[in-house]
Amino acid sequence: MNQDVLVIGAGIAGIEASLLLAGSGRKVYLIEKTSMIGGNLVKYEEVFPNMECSTCMLAPKQQDLLQNANIELLTMADVLDVSGKIGDFKVKIAVQADYVSAVDCIGCGACYEPCPISIPNEFEENLSSRKAIFVPCPGALPNVPVIDKANCLRFTKGEECALCQESCMFEAIDYSKQDRQIELEVGAIIVCTGFQMFDLSSYSKYGSGEIPAVYTEMQFERLFASNGPTLGDIRLRNGRTPEKIAIIQDVGKETVGYNSPIASIYPFKLVHYIAHKLHNAEIFCLYDDLFLPGKHYQAFFEEAISPNVHLERYDDVSVEANGDGALVKFSVEGDEKRIEVDMVILASALVPRTDALELANLLGIDIAKSGFLRSNRDGLSTLATSREGIFVAGCAEGIKDIAHSVEQASAAVGMVLSSIRNEIAV
Amino acid sequence: MSENTYKIGVYICECGPNIANAVDIDRVVETVSKYPDIYVVKRHKLLCSGPGKDFLHEDIIAEGLTHVVVAACSPKDHETTFANICKKSGLNPYLYQLINIREQCAWMIKDQEAATNKVISYIRSGVRRVKYHSSLEQKELESTPDVLVIGGGIAGIESALNLASNERKVYLVEKSGQLGGVAGQFEGVLSCGGLSPEVIRSKIESVKTNLNIRLFYDSEVENIIGFFGNFEVTVRCPKDEKVEIKVGSVVISTGFELFNPTNCDKYGIVSGTHVMLIEEVESKAKTGLVTLKDGSAPKSIALVHCTGRDEVGYCSGVCCNRLFAVAEYFKSNYPEIEIFDVYRNLPKTSPEDAAQISLLQEKGVVFIRANDASIEGQFGKTVVKYKTEKGIEKTIDVDLAVIAPAIIPGGDTQKIAQMLDICIDKFGFFEEEHSLTGSFKTSVDGVFVAGCAVGPKGIIDSATQALAASGNILSRLIPGKKIHPEVKTSEVIEALCTGCQTCVAVCSYGATSYDAIRRVSVVNEAICRGCGNCAGSCPSGAIRAKHFTEKQLHQEVIEAISASNKVNQE
Repeated sequence: MNQDVLVIGAGIAGIEASLLLAGSGRKVYLIEKTSMIGGNLVKYEEVFPNMECSTCMLAPKQQDLLQNANIELLTMADVLDVSGKIGDFKVKIAVQADYVSAVDCIGCGACYEPCPISIPNEFEENLSSRKAIFVPCPGALPNVPVIDKANCLRFTKGEECALCQESCMFEAIDYSKQDRQIELEVGAIIVCTGFQMFDLSSYSKYGSGEIPAVYTEMQFERLFASNGPTLGDIRLRNGRTPEKIAIIQDVGKETVGYNSPIASIYPFKLVHYIAHKLHNAEIFCLYDDLFLPGKHYQAFFEEAISPNVHLERYDDVSVEANGDGALVKFSVEGDEKRIEVDMVILASALVPRTDALELANLLGIDIAKSGFLRSNRDGLSTLATSREGIFVAGCAEGIKDIAHSVEQASAAVGMVLSSIRNEIAV
Repeated sequence: MSENTYKIGVYICECGPNIANAVDIDRVVETVSKYPDIYVVKRHKLLCSGPGKDFLHEDIIAEGLTHVVVAACSPKDHETTFANICKKSGLNPYLYQLINIREQCAWMIKDQEAATNKVISYIRSGVRRVKYHSSLEQKELESTPDVLVIGGGIAGIESALNLASNERKVYLVEKSGQLGGVAGQFEGVLSCGGLSPEVIRSKIESVKTNLNIRLFYDSEVENIIGFFGNFEVTVRCPKDEKVEIKVGSVVISTGFELFNPTNCDKYGIVSGTHVMLIEEVESKAKTGLVTLKDGSAPKSIALVHCTGRDEVGYCSGVCCNRLFAVAEYFKSNYPEIEIFDVYRNLPKTSPEDAAQISLLQEKGVVFIRANDASIEGQFGKTVVKYKTEKGIEKTIDVDLAVIAPAIIPGGDTQKIAQMLDICIDKFGFFEEEHSLTGSFKTSVDGVFVAGCAVGPKGIIDSATQALAASGNILSRLIPGKKIHPEVKTSEVIEALCTGCQTCVAVCSYGATSYDAIRRVSVVNEAICRGCGNCAGSCPSGAIRAKHFTEKQLHQEVIEAISASNKVNQE
């Protein structure tokens, strides 16, 4: 049996699984779609229930991972094909050209400055701009910029622009690099591809993207982040500091049909954030339900409550522009209510990735109707997929908090280490 | 080492233009070279590059250095890189110090003169410190791969099955005479999108027939001493027989108990005419009809949620689904019975759970969002009182109310926690090492906790924690491989120790203990993680953190606070 393991996705679950596997002496191939490791956790300044610094939790793991000789990290990489069976998988991987060599680049950032392109930075939820050669945010790891081919003058218009290459003191940039395909042989696969936010763009009733006072939760996370576009200053698009803020829980619930285990508690993380920086801000929490399972959530919720925090249950809600601010209209048990605020934060539902079905097909594994890579509900564990030797962990299996993602990642490793091995016969 | 045998080398990395442009490196080299302890000062364009590393390696050997200071980037980037080069060059890596002059000087200070002064002061501090470094050696310890699992509930079973192999024995100690725990008795009796009882039965069978699992029924763990890789365990078996076993790791899966509602008026008279505990309903359903005390069948039932939630201070997260299973059972078998589901919050936390609730609604279960629900018996009727969201008081008359009490800590928690010296949280569950990254670990390395012993949870989450614990054990405790404890541990200077035991009180890992015969504290280096708590709190200066000695820190700080003055004078 081949003992090596492929881990797909370098969020917290993928990192944890890789480190444990490598610790046991296994060779690990960790492939990641984007240019950086850490997943969504990188966007968060703090994490609940203890409002700890997220970087402080993640960074040592990232460092361990980058320095671990048993782990081969491939960023900007995607699975193309999987054949074979447990103990003997053959996996084709597409790896995008690394125009900036990770070996030669020291991450000084001298290449961004001369780039003439300026486009919205998706990592910062379009709250700031970036160049066509960039790292998504300060502190991103690996600290190696990527060239965004879709926006680079050289690759889109065939111009002879070489400003980034000329500015690099270390000759780390080579435009002639090509995309490549590689084939890996592994004994097991762990899928840790995570989640995405509910797409609000087709729901005009929340005003997302239209009303300047309306922010998504991820936008607010970046506003709060000390490495974000405002360096952590909670400032509205009009430059003012918000005084009255509405947080709407579980936006998209009517379409998605379920809350996640963190949907009820998450808005109160935002309350903690706001209370931490804006002491006098008045906060309206519009909630659908307050299901707070486990031993930590109730206390975290109670700690967030203060005279400045108003709880309002809602059955239906919409947001309208109101001068510089917004008007939140909602109904509860037949009563109509309205609140005028200068900032609205939409804490939207977390949903399966749109490419989950495609990945499931490539891997030849079952996918639940809901879009999560979950099966085998009859057994005790939901981590073993329908194809032997392929496991799933973290939010790809269903929405969950960090603790549960780490648990599942470790559990998947437990299953791999106990099932895919060459036992010494006694 | 006498003064004149020091050969301290300082290597300054220019980091391309990053440090070179912000700092006057010529002045740094010139100034630092005059410093008495320094044998050689050299600069390089990029020390972390291939040629840079070769240069450092060859130069350490050529100059015959005894200590090395590298002034470059953050230790997060390249501390290990240069430590490995020291090792490769025959120099103990603990005789080297990395100084961060990029993130902390070059990238922070715009004024070149100020940045240069700071670099000089930093390097001097590093040199003063490194002079007092000692060689430290990585130790290796033998270990046993075998594992002790305490408690044969769902989590214990799952752990044991995952861990047991021809190379690894599992000792499963169960207090009662059977496996499966509390959940095993009821889970799946009433199936509600959950688990079939067959799954648990077959897992129990697998444990019983597994030759690599040794089962101790009706037994308790009496004592555990030791550390990760080497625990010695005493198991007390029936008839007071004692068995000694050796294991490398421990999984605590001692489960839970249920909140007792009999002393709370608001839940009515439990097991009386009006109110039934869910386990009573479940076991009656196993044998056939659920009947009231008078033998008649109920025509209307209220399922009242959140029993004990306010009293215990948290939501158990699983009682709702257990009540839904009761609703499902009645609606499938006796559709004519009216069912009211009196809830506070609904767990629609996954597509499956949400679908379950919709299905029950379709089948006619009436869901009522209620606050302050209470149950009373009046004139042979059961009355459920509650407040609507708007605060209006309402009542429902039913034949029977069913309650599902909250999950509370198991009775053995305190005893086991004391035995292993691990903490208990404010609710009485075992406290996890970290709420996010260590939710199935304890503060004692090698001791894991899985299932409801660490907090209320469902059966699948319990199984996941059990597997997570085994994932960690399988990763770190490999048959035939030695384990590597922390190098930068603390040590006791016995001549100075007064035996006050402050260090024993402050150690989070249980690494310090008191030797009552010699009346001194002892550090177990296999457990110590080098946090320095003991060294910092010792009133007699009798404990030294090996890589952070008072001398090293003192020299470093003295230089840092006086050097800037010196630089300005020069």
